[in-house]
Amino acid sequence: MKLFGELWQYREMILSLVKRDLKSRYKGSVLGFFWMFLNPLLQLCVYTVVFSTIMRMGIDKFYLFLFVALVPWMFFSTCLSSGTTVVMGQQDMVKKIYFPREVLPLAFTISQFVNMLLSFVIIFVVVFVSGIKLDPLSLLYLPLIMIIEFVLSLGIVLLASSLTVYFRDLEHILSIISMAWMYLTPIIYPVEMVPENLLKFFYLNPMTPITIAYRDILYYGKAPHVKTLISAALLGILVLVVGEILFSRLQRKFAEEL
Amino acid sequence: MRNPENAIEVNNITKTFKIYHDKGHSLKEKALHVSRRKYEKHQVLKGVSFEVKKGEAVGLMGQNGCGKSTTLKMLTKIMYPDTGTIEMNGRISSLLELGAGFHPDLSGRENIYINASTFGLTKKEIDKRIQDIIDFSELWDFIDNPVRTYSSGMYMRLAFSVAINVDADILLIDEILAVGDLNFQTKCINKLMEIKASGTTIVLVSHSTDQIESICDRSIWIHEGVVRAQGETQVVNREYVNYMRSLRNQALEEEQARKNEESAGTVGEGTEASSESVSENESVNAPGEETGEEQQPEPEVQDKIIVKSAVITNASGESQSLFTLGESVTLEIELYAEELVKDYLIELNLVRADVLFCYGVSTSCDRIACEEWQGDRKLKITFPQMNLLKGLYHFDLHIANSDGSTIVFKGGIAQFEIEMDTPERGLVFLPHEWK
Repeated sequence: MKLFGELWQYREMILSLVKRDLKSRYKGSVLGFFWMFLNPLLQLCVYTVVFSTIMRMGIDKFYLFLFVALVPWMFFSTCLSSGTTVVMGQQDMVKKIYFPREVLPLAFTISQFVNMLLSFVIIFVVVFVSGIKLDPLSLLYLPLIMIIEFVLSLGIVLLASSLTVYFRDLEHILSIISMAWMYLTPIIYPVEMVPENLLKFFYLNPMTPITIAYRDILYYGKAPHVKTLISAALLGILVLVVGEILFSRLQRKFAEEL
Repeated sequence: MRNPENAIEVNNITKTFKIYHDKGHSLKEKALHVSRRKYEKHQVLKGVSFEVKKGEAVGLMGQNGCGKSTTLKMLTKIMYPDTGTIEMNGRISSLLELGAGFHPDLSGRENIYINASTFGLTKKEIDKRIQDIIDFSELWDFIDNPVRTYSSGMYMRLAFSVAINVDADILLIDEILAVGDLNFQTKCINKLMEIKASGTTIVLVSHSTDQIESICDRSIWIHEGVVRAQGETQVVNREYVNYMRSLRNQALEEEQARKNEESAGTVGEGTEASSESVSENESVNAPGEETGEEQQPEPEVQDKIIVKSAVITNASGESQSLFTLGESVTLEIELYAEELVKDYLIELNLVRADVLFCYGVSTSCDRIACEEWQGDRKLKITFPQMNLLKGLYHFDLHIANSDGSTIVFKGGIAQFEIEMDTPERGLVFLPHEWK
């Protein structure tokens, strides 16, 4: 509770870090802020070409099937692999001034989250163009699943950023893990393709229920199953709690280890 | 908090750093070079306890590496103690490292917002303070330029202005008052006094005892990881200064002893030895000190007499280097003569650190007969009432033949300092009466 109060007090710092991150990401490029929309759009083009003309999956509007799962995945995987640099990249501040260290992972996750929200503008445009009918009522579940994914990602960033300070190899290890994790999550294939006996392991992956929920809402146009939502929420909260416990332990020696 | 009137309570904190000779950060290095990962444990703090009352200004001082900055870092919660507890009551602002987190491409104004936010201020609070911050930094014309175009002085001024305008309950300051030019420094100190007067608790780490004396009510002297003394600023400062001086004296004496040994080894080797004695004189004296002296060592003179030791003692015969005005000062010298010395006179000159020749006295002017002498000899001169005013002084020793030709000259054989509580000025105390 004390932490929440302190983070609230430092909200201006979080906000200015998010702004700085978003501003600096595309600073100096000709198209600037446009890249935030252009990037997912171009990716969509690549996947459409590959999966609709070369590797045909036999799924109707496969590009959309893939895209609605891929955008949330990119948010998660960036948190997983770039989250390692969050504390290391701010060494100067960590070593020299006090602020609740959770500010850094929180600001990073928020800025990635904002990025994802902007990509969702493209998703809605594509969904509209493709002519898929969305159920307005089930769309209400969208913010909920986004929040659940945010909670999960924040937990991952807390873990990755604090552990990297002690084990610098984690950065490289996590980029491999991130790739493997993507193929172990039903993103480019439907979860129905997973063999029955492996299915229960698949549901241990917190990204599985989240991906299914996104797809239910945005591709199938139906409300996600309550069971899916509950398992996503529980796994997300579990990761966040473990992440924060570990982070709060490890942060005590950040200044010495950096 | 044991006492609600305290702003800070530090209870028996310890901190040990591991100093790695070859630190591996990656898993591979950690796994493969287990044996190579040697480290020394260095205990910086060995149980420090102190309390600071609300509204009090406290100075932390000590030698380099004594642990005062580590203590401050723990008060700031950048680091945590291994054992012991720290309790703080109130909003903390720390001026440890000015301008950490400044972004060079952003303007001064934008950086104020970012920097102030790292102190936990909200936008509204910053809006309220921004004019004060800009006014204090005196950077009106430059505030919208990118910070990378600032001079280092301007940079520090901006950073200091932000840090000092955070209305904290507890202000922690580390060695950063050397900001900007003299005028700005004075302004900073005045601002600190103002902040102190408004009831803010201040903890200041500084090497400047003057600074501590001008701001702090109380001093804590940390020595080798423990609190060696605490109390009224002036008292503790004097103790500290005394100790530091004795350290310096010791180093000086050791150097002297080493040189004496060297020169003792070369006595009797003719010109070589004498040339060495010249260089010795130069290194013992402060640069340029000899220009004011009439006794220049003549190169052809051999080092027949060696000063084995020179100590300054107080009235009770204990070695001391810091005196107050009017105290008794005694100089004790141990000499060694290689050959028989006869028909000689001993002269002592008292010189202030800025090469002002204050007083000279010799055995001949006091009409004291000097016996013939060979081997060891002790010499003692007492000034029962040292009336020189505040300053750093040293003795030069000159032993000459009765015709005035130098046998040996040693500059700066011993030094002492006079302190005083009265604001009299000049060189010497003259007894006086008003009517």
